[in-house]
Amino acid sequence: MGLSRPLADFAAEVGAEGPVAVVGGRTQWDVGGPVAPDARLVSAPAGVVDHQPADMTVRVGAGTTVAELTEALAAAGQFVPLDPAQPGRATVGGVLSVGHSGLRRLRYGPVRDTLLEARYVSAAGRLVKAGGPVVKNVSGFDLCRLLVGALGTLGLLAEVVLRVQPVPAARRWLRGRADPDVVLARLYRPSSVLWDGDSVWVLVEGHPADVAELAGRLAGFAEVDGPPPLPAGGRLSVAPTDLNRFGNERQAGTFLAEVGVGTVHLHDKVTPPSPEPSVLDLNHRVRAAFDPDHRFNPGRRVA
Amino acid sequence: MRTLLEDLTAALGAGAVKGDPLELALYARDASVMEGSAGCVCFPTDAAQVQAVVGVARAHGRSVVPRGSGTGLAGGAVPIGKPGAEPVVVVTTRMNRILSVDAAARTAWVEPGVLNLDLSRAVAHLGLHFAPDPSSQQACSVGGNVANNSGGPHCLAYGVTTAHVLAVEVVLSDGSVARLGGTDPDPTGYDLRGAFVGSEGTMGLATAVLVRLTPLPPAVRTLLADFPSAESAAETVSAVIAAGVVPAALEMMDQRITVAVEDFVHAGFPTDAAAVLLAEIDGLPGGVDAAVATVVELARRHGARQVRVAADEAERALLWKGRKSAFGAVARIAPDYYLHDAVVPRTRLSEVLQRVYEIADANHVGVMNVFHAGDGNLHPLFLFDRRVPGALERVHEAAGEVLRICLDAGGVLSGEHGIGLEKRDYMPLLFSEDDLAAQDALRRAFDPERLFNPDKVLPSGSRCGDIRSLPEGVWV
Amino acid sequence: MRLEVDDDELAACVSCGLCLPHCPTYRVTGEESASPRGRIAAMRAVHAGAEAGPAFTSFMDLCVQCRGCEAACPSGVPFGRLMEGARRTLVAERRYQPWWRRAGYRLLGHHRLLLAASSAAALAQRAGLVPARLGLPRLPVRRPRLDASGTDAWLFTGCVMDAWMRPTHAAALRAMEATGAGVTPVGAGCCGALAEHAGLAEVAGGQAARVVASMTGTAPVVVDSAGCGAVMKDYGRLLGTPGAQAFAGRVMDVSEWLATRPLPTGRRLPLRVAVQDPCHLRHVQRAHAHVRTVLTPYVEEVVELDDDGLCCGAGGAYATVHPDMAARIRALKLEAIAGARPDVVASSNPGCAMHLAAAGVVVRHPVEIIAEALGGPEALGG
Repeated sequence: MGLSRPLADFAAEVGAEGPVAVVGGRTQWDVGGPVAPDARLVSAPAGVVDHQPADMTVRVGAGTTVAELTEALAAAGQFVPLDPAQPGRATVGGVLSVGHSGLRRLRYGPVRDTLLEARYVSAAGRLVKAGGPVVKNVSGFDLCRLLVGALGTLGLLAEVVLRVQPVPAARRWLRGRADPDVVLARLYRPSSVLWDGDSVWVLVEGHPADVAELAGRLAGFAEVDGPPPLPAGGRLSVAPTDLNRFGNERQAGTFLAEVGVGTVHLHDKVTPPSPEPSVLDLNHRVRAAFDPDHRFNPGRRVA
Repeated sequence: MRTLLEDLTAALGAGAVKGDPLELALYARDASVMEGSAGCVCFPTDAAQVQAVVGVARAHGRSVVPRGSGTGLAGGAVPIGKPGAEPVVVVTTRMNRILSVDAAARTAWVEPGVLNLDLSRAVAHLGLHFAPDPSSQQACSVGGNVANNSGGPHCLAYGVTTAHVLAVEVVLSDGSVARLGGTDPDPTGYDLRGAFVGSEGTMGLATAVLVRLTPLPPAVRTLLADFPSAESAAETVSAVIAAGVVPAALEMMDQRITVAVEDFVHAGFPTDAAAVLLAEIDGLPGGVDAAVATVVELARRHGARQVRVAADEAERALLWKGRKSAFGAVARIAPDYYLHDAVVPRTRLSEVLQRVYEIADANHVGVMNVFHAGDGNLHPLFLFDRRVPGALERVHEAAGEVLRICLDAGGVLSGEHGIGLEKRDYMPLLFSEDDLAAQDALRRAFDPERLFNPDKVLPSGSRCGDIRSLPEGVWV
Repeated sequence: MRLEVDDDELAACVSCGLCLPHCPTYRVTGEESASPRGRIAAMRAVHAGAEAGPAFTSFMDLCVQCRGCEAACPSGVPFGRLMEGARRTLVAERRYQPWWRRAGYRLLGHHRLLLAASSAAALAQRAGLVPARLGLPRLPVRRPRLDASGTDAWLFTGCVMDAWMRPTHAAALRAMEATGAGVTPVGAGCCGALAEHAGLAEVAGGQAARVVASMTGTAPVVVDSAGCGAVMKDYGRLLGTPGAQAFAGRVMDVSEWLATRPLPTGRRLPLRVAVQDPCHLRHVQRAHAHVRTVLTPYVEEVVELDDDGLCCGAGGAYATVHPDMAARIRALKLEAIAGARPDVVASSNPGCAMHLAAAGVVVRHPVEIIAEALGGPEALGG
């Protein structure tokens, strides 16, 4: 256990001047646009610093790969539901900064709910702490949620404390044909319900008896190894109640929708819609307050 | 130029603005022990009226202090201002409509003045509820829950308010209205919704909230275990969590509070136990049964003398009645109590608890402990009589020492009451100047002129030496 | 201005605000001045020397005195006593209760005069001389006789209720006698509740003393008006004599008394009955559970209102003094009643019954429903 290098070294490397971009596993490197070529590339410290199973928290360098984190927690029967597509390469800091939640968001909530404390390097090159290392905390403003999905444009994550979860005793993926909303309504807290316009994939997790009972509620569904391959072109964010209409207007198989969540995975690239003007203005003011010179991750845009 | 009262009255109508001195005095405090002074009180009924109030307040150079039900315990709704420039208190009680409920999406748009429990009651027939359940849930408003990012016993499994708020419609300090968050999972841009929740009324005033509604669990079991020592109870908490069981609620009561409660409600709590744990487990039957078995086994292994699993709904209700009557039981012992709020890592509960008793004894203050053990959220209750000279000061002294030992143990200043006025000057104990500057930067992005609730959350010292005199009761 | 309140009781409120949702005037206005917490804060300010201007009087006057706050208060603040004390002080300072209101409260103690006045009003009503906006029910010109059947229990018949709603007393007698008891009805004028709530302690005391003197012995004093029963149970404090204390111990609400008796068999009426708990039965006497016990055998279904026992706005004389506020509070109750979809609403308090009936709700006293189920004299139909 321990960090690959001190946080202060990372802060010094980032410094207080000039364009800087942070690199993780480059698994979602193009989200938000290409990084300006003149940006200096830096990488966050890696390593699991401290894991307290009874506190359900883990402190980890932002440069740690998700696979490494998962392995460190496995001995205690715990995990963090980050669920990136490529855990061997994706880093904890990268998953948080991009902010894309995994396929089990339906049960475990969005990825932003896992971040309890962040130590990040500010645009002035200072180490800043946001949040706290405990599972419940309302001491001051919630900078942590602001940092998740910010693409490193407000600060560069160096070390984080995450909320961990117990690994469920049993899990089962099932596939069948049914109205996805009916499937969702029939189950109690499934971990994932996916729909491609034709088939529905369901992940149920928990106590073996409950998993068997839930599976039994889905007539005509058969057990499968896992979800279908995820279309990796782009993601759309749709109100969950609009998914059915959305899917019925498209050809089956051209998308994979997370039922009950509203995330739609597509083969094509997606340009996110622009927020309404008052919200866009507020986004710009937030960016200006944290990184007035836009020195962090120039070229990548959140809004 | 017209007076503030005249302008507000012109904007909202006569019945919606109050200026009588005796009436203003009723808004000088919330449920905390601090007191300020209001310049004017108004009761808008929609976002347009809030916008009008913001415009008038700006024109008169007054700040705006949002107020819901006034059940906050950290002074977040206490109006602070120099004489002649006291704030406009904006009360949300008349924005209390449930605007729409979407049973399929399990969401509802509500106005900020809707009461927490009223919302859960209104959707109960759909098998849904609003999960955050602060002890004041019968009286506190959803808007107040958003401002404080409120918790409650069942937030151990379900998460605090921010996990149950999908969007907020907010009136900003420039008078504009912005919708933060949305009905879709990942609206474009920074998570401004997340930044706003828990901002204690300093970044704007929420005029509508899109909340997530949670299905009622199919199975619920509640059990009570009694222990020969507080240490063994605390260790059981850690063991339960480490074993992979996340109860819906895991509450601890020490002997002093258990005796007080039993005298009051006769719930059958063992008065000779050093501590009791109240655990609730919900979900699907298989997992619930297995978890109950684990908790019972771990409690026994840690020395529990008796573990009582509620046999039916009536017994379950009785156990919870015991827990929820704690403050009432205390109020019958001393005229005043100060309810503290701090969080430590679960694994440090036992030693911190011991220090809490020592600190209380050293300051000659009575203390009882009833708290959310599952997430390490301590709530020491200090008993006093404010009419006794020096009593409140001794309580503040003890409370301050408790905060320090919690921070030393790796904890934080507040788990659910917020910072408000009460703990803002303790913020530098937890955060460096750089940390506080970052939080201030966020606030400035929302409210560059500090129109909203300007004296809350961040210490005055972080603002270019702008140290004001603190009102009575505020810790220094 | 020093208020006639106990300092410790005034200090007991910790401003937690848990009373707020249980206060009808706060529910309607959202204002602290119309809430128990705000009223106590105002009392404290005035008690400590702040100017007691017209605002203070209006804050105190707007309270319905339902005491829903007392049941909700974790600190056990005796709000009813504080409010009565504050009003007593205002009365003494001549800032409250004009002469005509005082005269009205006094009249209630003179029962024969009240009956005559009521009959005259009934005739005037028939002649179309009473404006409808006064909201009076259809007053009876004649009233059924109430005869004594024995000495096992007293039935207290009161003032306005006896004048306007004597069939309810007849139904109470019928239900009580069906349990095998001999009952003596007693009319001794007003119980003093209305004057006591208004801060007219002297008037209330005189009326209470007359009531105590009228029902001697040890037999239970059964009351079919929740508001009267509440104050009669408090006579010990009001009069401060051992005799009054002993009398108060004998007072029982009619449902409370019936629940101690073997319930006679009767028909099961095809009715879905929503129980409206009068505040002074639920929050003050805390005897509301008995209504369900005694009604259940005689009706198809007893349903609850989903409003946590919030006041209906009647408040004894309140609906007469504050008709607008009373109607706004009643609107909340009507919503709860609509949600429960009952055939009939059962209320154990004449004030609540009249207030709700004036808005078109079908209201009956629980004993009237029981009497019908038992079958009985034609007169019961009223």
